[in-house]
Amino acid sequence: MPGTPFASDALDNITFSLGRGSFTLLIGPSGSGKTTLIQHLNGLLKPTSGAVYFDGKKIGADKAALLSLRRRIGLVFQMPEEQFFSETVYDEIAYAPRNLGLDENKVKERVVKAVERVGLEHKDLLDRHPFQLSAGQKRLVAFAAVLSIEPEVLILDEPAAGLDPAGKQKLFNLLYGLNRSEEITVLVSTHHLDEVAALADYLLALKGGRLMMAGKAREVLARRTELQGLGLALPQVTEIMDQLSVRGLPVRKDIYSLSAACEEIIRVKRADQG
Amino acid sequence: MAVVKAEPIIEAKKIYYSYAGEEEEFSPALSDVDLKINQGEYLTLLGANGSGKTTLLKLLNALLIPSQGEVLVKGISTVEAEQLELVRQTCGMIFQNPDNQIVATTVEEDIAFGLENLALPSAEIRRRVDNVASRLGLTHLLQHPPHRLSGGEKQRTAIAGILAMQPACILMDEPTAMLDPAGRLEVLKTVKDLNKKESLAIVHVTHSPAEAAEADRIVVLELGRIVADGKPEEILTNLKLLHKLGLEGTVAAELADLLRQEGLKLPAAIMSNRELIESLCSSEQIS
Repeated sequence: MPGTPFASDALDNITFSLGRGSFTLLIGPSGSGKTTLIQHLNGLLKPTSGAVYFDGKKIGADKAALLSLRRRIGLVFQMPEEQFFSETVYDEIAYAPRNLGLDENKVKERVVKAVERVGLEHKDLLDRHPFQLSAGQKRLVAFAAVLSIEPEVLILDEPAAGLDPAGKQKLFNLLYGLNRSEEITVLVSTHHLDEVAALADYLLALKGGRLMMAGKAREVLARRTELQGLGLALPQVTEIMDQLSVRGLPVRKDIYSLSAACEEIIRVKRADQG
Repeated sequence: MAVVKAEPIIEAKKIYYSYAGEEEEFSPALSDVDLKINQGEYLTLLGANGSGKTTLLKLLNALLIPSQGEVLVKGISTVEAEQLELVRQTCGMIFQNPDNQIVATTVEEDIAFGLENLALPSAEIRRRVDNVASRLGLTHLLQHPPHRLSGGEKQRTAIAGILAMQPACILMDEPTAMLDPAGRLEVLKTVKDLNKKESLAIVHVTHSPAEAAEADRIVVLELGRIVADGKPEEILTNLKLLHKLGLEGTVAAELADLLRQEGLKLPAAIMSNRELIESLCSSEQIS
């Protein structure tokens, strides 16, 4: 609310760039400005000063450009299923392609493709009411609704909140697949590094509206004390490796997934045995 | 250790529940659920999305009434409409998103909201608000507008509002899902203290094995039925069961399992990081 007595800097002097086809994590405690930052990236908010560029062009210059921008950058809000308003899953996913002015055949193609891309199988699912679905399915439908505009960039705000472990795993595998095989640029904001740390190329850490850390994921994750100072928890498996190392087991500490941890412990145990 | 008395606060007797308008092809949200929760007990409900955890929670404080069977809260059946207030005072509910359950413009008004609805004298309201605020470390925030609080502080404000009603049990539906790690710890510590020091019964729905490990007892739901009921160290190391249901054991249990598959000899029941680290640092394990 600039110019009012309530004005405060939600974001302060932030500079970074996202490479095409990269997978980036945006981390930071509650209130650090993650959601505000995300809303700048597809022009929902305009910076009080400074600018955001997409593909070399400044965002927000003219309205027509803003519309085409939002077709290229898909934004998935927190708890997106709370925003469902259609009577059927089909209509929910078809909303955006219809708004693009596509004819109904093309719309249907887009809907079916989006459903397939998120790995939802049931063909009869499309006629169901969105509220009849499980939480995991709803999340995937919300995700399909954004994929139906066929964006080049996907931005997701806490996409796994409230999902069960299998649902989380499925969601992140899906994102990783879209990123790696279709070269969709992905930015995920999250509080919790557990499931995603091993997937990311880059990491941005916010606190109090400032960009505190930015760089290759492995390099940022190695700066343990700074991360903890931001109120963020390392993946639990990384904490286990750190403690093993403190206890004198010569394990590597740059371990962010269960499988990597297993491999490393076995390597050390075998070497130990000679 | 909290005093767990073998005196049930809540008893669910053979309850079934179907959501109105559900088509025949869908199975009921809950089937044949029998559950006793004792005074001072800390119970975690685990289960995949759609397994009936939230439905069960809502049945325990009469937000929903069973289609068959009955729920007794301190011996009072939740179908007795005139006793609704008493049931809901006995079992308070905390939801996932703190922003959806805070109604007032200051923390103290929010904590007082339930008490005002009971039409208590204002001196008594003041006394109870100050008392719960000091127990939960919220005294310095009483005049603050809730939207300026952190997630953890908001969730503790919601808990304070429940606590002011002097309940015997707090029901929590994924109370940490929207919180950052610091907020998560803050809320868990608050809840654990209430359980240990004040013997409040807790029913905690979570997807986090690390949170579930804090409980005295875990009940696992699948498709509306109870499929396991036991101590955390039994349930959270039973990876065969958990994986089948789309759930996970603790990170330590999962890692221990992978290591065993690679030929490492480890004790069967490893649940905590500490147990895993001790085992790995102790001796020769490779075969």
